[in-house]
Amino acid sequence: MDERALEQEIFAVGSRLAASLPSQARHPLKALDTKAMDLASSDAELKAALFRFVDVVPACRSLDDLARHLTGFLGELEAAPPPVSAAMKMGNSRAGRRALGMASATGVKHMAHRFIVGEDPEAALGVLRGLWKEGVASSVDLLGEATVTQAEADRYAERCARALDALSRAASGWPERPQLEADPQGRLARANLSVKVSALTPLLRAEAPERGKRDAAGRLRELLRHAHRVGAHLHIDMESMDSRDAVLELVLELLSEPEFREGPSAGMVLQAYLRDSPHSLDTILQWRRRGPGAEREHPLTVRLVKGAYWDHEVVDAQQHGWTVPVFEVKADCDRNFEGLTRRLVDAQREGGVRVAIASHNLRSVSHALAYNRLTGGKDTDIELQILRGLGDPLQEALAAHGMRVRAYCPVGDLVAGMAYLVRRLLENTSNDSFLQEQARGAAVEKLLAPPGHEPAAPLGEPAGTI
Amino acid sequence: MEPFRNEPVLELRRAPVRAALNDALQAVNSTLPLSVPVRVGDDSRAGDALVSTDPGAPERVIARSAVATPGEVDAALEAARTAAPGWRDRPVTERADVLLRAAARLREDRLKIAALAVRETAKPWPEADADVCEAIDFLEYYARGAIALQEGAELLQMPGERNDLRWAGRGVVAVISPWNFPVAIPCGMVAAGLATGNSVVLKPAEQAPGCASVLVDALRDAGVPPGVLGFLPGEGDVGAALVADPRVHTIAFTGSGAVGLEILRTAAEVRDGQKHLKRVIAEMGGKNSVIVDADADLDEVVPALVKSAFGYAGQKCSAAARVLVHEAVHDGLVERLAGAVEVLQVGQASDLESDVPPVIEREAQERVQRYVAEAERSGRIAARAAPVPEHGWFASPSVAVDLPPDSAVLAEEIFGPLLAIERVGSMEAACDRVDASPYGLTGGLFARNPDTVDYVVGRSPVGNLYVNREITGAMVGRQPFGGNRLSGTGTKAGGPGYLMQFVEPRVVTENTIRHGLVV
Repeated sequence: MDERALEQEIFAVGSRLAASLPSQARHPLKALDTKAMDLASSDAELKAALFRFVDVVPACRSLDDLARHLTGFLGELEAAPPPVSAAMKMGNSRAGRRALGMASATGVKHMAHRFIVGEDPEAALGVLRGLWKEGVASSVDLLGEATVTQAEADRYAERCARALDALSRAASGWPERPQLEADPQGRLARANLSVKVSALTPLLRAEAPERGKRDAAGRLRELLRHAHRVGAHLHIDMESMDSRDAVLELVLELLSEPEFREGPSAGMVLQAYLRDSPHSLDTILQWRRRGPGAEREHPLTVRLVKGAYWDHEVVDAQQHGWTVPVFEVKADCDRNFEGLTRRLVDAQREGGVRVAIASHNLRSVSHALAYNRLTGGKDTDIELQILRGLGDPLQEALAAHGMRVRAYCPVGDLVAGMAYLVRRLLENTSNDSFLQEQARGAAVEKLLAPPGHEPAAPLGEPAGTI
Repeated sequence: MEPFRNEPVLELRRAPVRAALNDALQAVNSTLPLSVPVRVGDDSRAGDALVSTDPGAPERVIARSAVATPGEVDAALEAARTAAPGWRDRPVTERADVLLRAAARLREDRLKIAALAVRETAKPWPEADADVCEAIDFLEYYARGAIALQEGAELLQMPGERNDLRWAGRGVVAVISPWNFPVAIPCGMVAAGLATGNSVVLKPAEQAPGCASVLVDALRDAGVPPGVLGFLPGEGDVGAALVADPRVHTIAFTGSGAVGLEILRTAAEVRDGQKHLKRVIAEMGGKNSVIVDADADLDEVVPALVKSAFGYAGQKCSAAARVLVHEAVHDGLVERLAGAVEVLQVGQASDLESDVPPVIEREAQERVQRYVAEAERSGRIAARAAPVPEHGWFASPSVAVDLPPDSAVLAEEIFGPLLAIERVGSMEAACDRVDASPYGLTGGLFARNPDTVDYVVGRSPVGNLYVNREITGAMVGRQPFGGNRLSGTGTKAGGPGYLMQFVEPRVVTENTIRHGLVV
């Protein structure tokens, strides 16, 4: 690869996309009409206080209880900005607490709705249809509480099955959108559901993965059958390092089973923030090319993400004295993302694998498109994925340019969605994130510079994660 | 010397790390049964008066141990008394080096030592590994602590006088250790004594002489002189003889409350020829409560309770025995916890898939069954894990609810996999109940309002309170461990003040004026 030509192409693709971003969207944080988020981004203590509040909202039993929590968190701040002092004052009276509770509950709900498309799949159908009409496909993720019992695992599997039904039924009535419905390797399902293995079993243990795998396999197998029956795509998400190997093995083992040779369409996730992710890709490609996966007629979709559990992985490893499994410098992670992108684009061209680039980072997305072009591909060969609420403007720009884009759309109530929401907010306000940089109005040249060509900074939270 | 850092536990989420465990277990199997001798000075006498067995397969003998005779107890104490001054006068850095070499020995053999703990005490792999790591931590931590202690402390100085405060080993330490942390706890108490210049006589738990013997080997090989560390396996009478002996200066004990109180009584008496007051460091039982407020995240509470109450079948002094949960979330918690307990796999400690291993011995199994029956009679068993293997000392993890306030299940230490849940109307009521208990070892709180956390912290009498996490797994240097009230003498193993229990202060004031000249 002629790297200079590639950089030129990246710049060409990227600046065209940047020019199509609505000007308001150059500042995605401005879209959050809660002043709190702006404040939070500049004040780490306040950010922690607000996040702890957002996190506890669903567990509060009354407006009064809400206000007491809010003032409890804000009361720990060393120096309170004026809006905080005002809130603290309101906390002194019953009526004030009621008003404060009401205002904060509304604020949090509003925030949640930015990232979460509905309480259940039925409620989300309108949004999904709207996206489709604008040229954006979707993948639905059912948010839920942690699974600690068999009954909870059953309930989650049932919700997934019902979602597959609802999505495929509704999607059959959607208008035709040819660039979303096929790629060089064949047809693409309209209905697309992302599932989590940790929700399919209460038995997943890091030090004894087999038992959890066996238990999850039963439910996941049923979901694969169900997806096949209704013609939907089933995507298995990755979570933390504790379950990484189990999920990878489970997915490859199940998809090797003869009954799934002809479908359903299925996929998995590769997390570029993991130092050993190139090795995981070896495993996947080996399986597909020369292993049991070679028998499979349906391509395997690999969604490339940076990874959403960065803080958890770092803290967990440090507390145990282990080598940190993720890149600790943002540029290293970005470079690895680009390396994996190239390997996946190459693999897709050979067939049997589909690549989905999931990122809100203009550079990462432009790099994938440019590399694909320079190696002889068309833009629509590649699927681009965007998280609902985080990369909406980029998603619109991509769709406007006729790219094949899919929005990852979480569905669930506020209780279930809170952990997800907090992760997204963290990402949105992280100082090192692409979104922050974009919001600060960084020049396109800077946004599109190769990884490491900006001053090296520790990775706060990788931008563009799923 | 490098600053202290905790020995990293095995990263068992990686398959190659797990694969090594079985090899270690096979290697240890081929050496069984171990022969555990009494060791007094340079002498060593094998025997088989005491036998330890695998709690998960009681016909499998793990160690055949000699039992110390009264004559051997006497000889060990005489050797310790004679050797103590020489050891005390060695430079502290030399003593510290010996401990660090012992740590290196444990590190080299850590898988095999953990495998032995898996066999002898049915400690599941992750916890057996953590036990060896903690033993290493104690050696490393106290070696550094003793060096720091040698610096003495700053005193006010005046012209014409020099004031100097130093600490010195008190003499002979008798260590009486339990089986549940079969390497770490004896190691911690012994290492603290040795580091500060005492000689030590160790009486290990009769259930786990093999693990303790491996520890003594490591220390002796690392250079602890024979007279400075005696090893006296045996039953309670050996410990009783040590406690009563006038040659003993310090008694470091971890075990049951009844034995601990007896030790305190006996040690208070000054015998003929005794020229000192004995000091007792006692770590005793607990009845540990976890308070759950209405705003707690049950996603976190349930796994943390399962780990705290049923890890190592509840046989940790720090284990959770009671949950005091706010009535607003009581039913939801009971339902989810019940479901989480029902899926627990009860099985052999050597099997990584087992969540809950057997309890240590038949008597423990029967004790747990008695309390479960009592809970069934006066309340209700909301959940239990099934099935439980018939062979071996297995006890089914159980959750008891609806117990009357005066139930023995809520008051007495069970030391097994039985967790009682109680409904409370407020955090005040929860604190009142904790306060009513004579114990004060560990406690837990799940709450997210900082004001609630402050309130409960302020009212909590326990030695170790854990907020929004499991209540077991204290780490050396991070969570100094030990209980208050009838749970112990308030000392903190693995903490900054611990070594002070093993030394006596000596202040020397020298007049530096001679004929008006300050020299």
